[in-house]
Amino acid sequence: MAVAIQQHHDRIAAYLKKKLGADVSLADVIALAEITAQSLQSVFETMDSAVHRELREIAAYIAAMKAEIAGLHFNELKHTRIPAAGQELDAIVKATEAASNTIMECAEAVLAADASDPAFKSMVDEQMLIVFEACSFQDITGQRVAKVIETLKHVEARVARFSDALRTRDTGGFVSEAERASAERKERLLLSGPALDGNDRQSEVDRLLGK
Amino acid sequence: MAVDLSMPILVVDDYNTMIRIIRNLLKQLGFEDIDDANDGSAALNKMRGKRYGLVISDWNMEPMTGYELLKEVRGDPGLSKTPFIMVTAESKTENVIAAKKAGVNNYIVKPFNAQTLRTKIEAVFAE
Repeated sequence: MAVAIQQHHDRIAAYLKKKLGADVSLADVIALAEITAQSLQSVFETMDSAVHRELREIAAYIAAMKAEIAGLHFNELKHTRIPAAGQELDAIVKATEAASNTIMECAEAVLAADASDPAFKSMVDEQMLIVFEACSFQDITGQRVAKVIETLKHVEARVARFSDALRTRDTGGFVSEAERASAERKERLLLSGPALDGNDRQSEVDRLLGK
Repeated sequence: MAVDLSMPILVVDDYNTMIRIIRNLLKQLGFEDIDDANDGSAALNKMRGKRYGLVISDWNMEPMTGYELLKEVRGDPGLSKTPFIMVTAESKTENVIAAKKAGVNNYIVKPFNAQTLRTKIEAVFAE
């Protein structure tokens, strides 16, 4: 396009040099206008072609991005998989809470019972059976956890493919004010939750406290 | 245990299951006067209405955390001398140091057992 504009300038400059010093007639002005119009036409043609090529590239990029977005199966994730995973986690919390309460009720009943009572032994046996039954939650929650892990892997695979296709880079910031407020609260109040190696931390904590 | 078993104890945790576990462990240790609260602000209200001999608090609660409760307690002249044990899964070094600076008497990492609870309570009252 730069070449076309240069040629346009050259033609006008050549015409003006030819007419330099001479009286300018109406015919000269019309001739200059014709030269200008002809030159600009070629400029616009070049410009049209460049813009058209850029628009075609943008359209192809948008089409590819739409295909990648469709490949995310976002609606399925939003309406089916993620809510289902949330329900599984809720069920896990409820199952573990119910099992804990059942086991504690049994323990409390045994602790409160009179060991000298002839019925004590049979009562303890009965309570222990209830404890065994309550422990079956572990099998079910294990299966629920496996389903949640499967969902996370499903989401991870699609997000990774999408990110690769768009060659995205991570940027800072939060998607909402609520997310920002939650992150700031966690940082301010030192809330990071259980550590994976939390079982071995007591002696280190004692050392830090000087106990 | 050289501890006054009749002293009132306040257990603060947002999980009722955890409160029940600690309450049962304390009963096994011989304590009988045990109250509970589900977050720091509820605990603070109870502490302003009754004098407790010991507070055993979780860290991660809403709206007021155990860490904020500890700082409030230490900043209140009427409550500042109350022995305070943190029982929490927050076990990072920065947490322990922050709790120590705020004036915690002892710190128990979840999950814990009855022996650890007994040892830490004894250590607080041996100081």
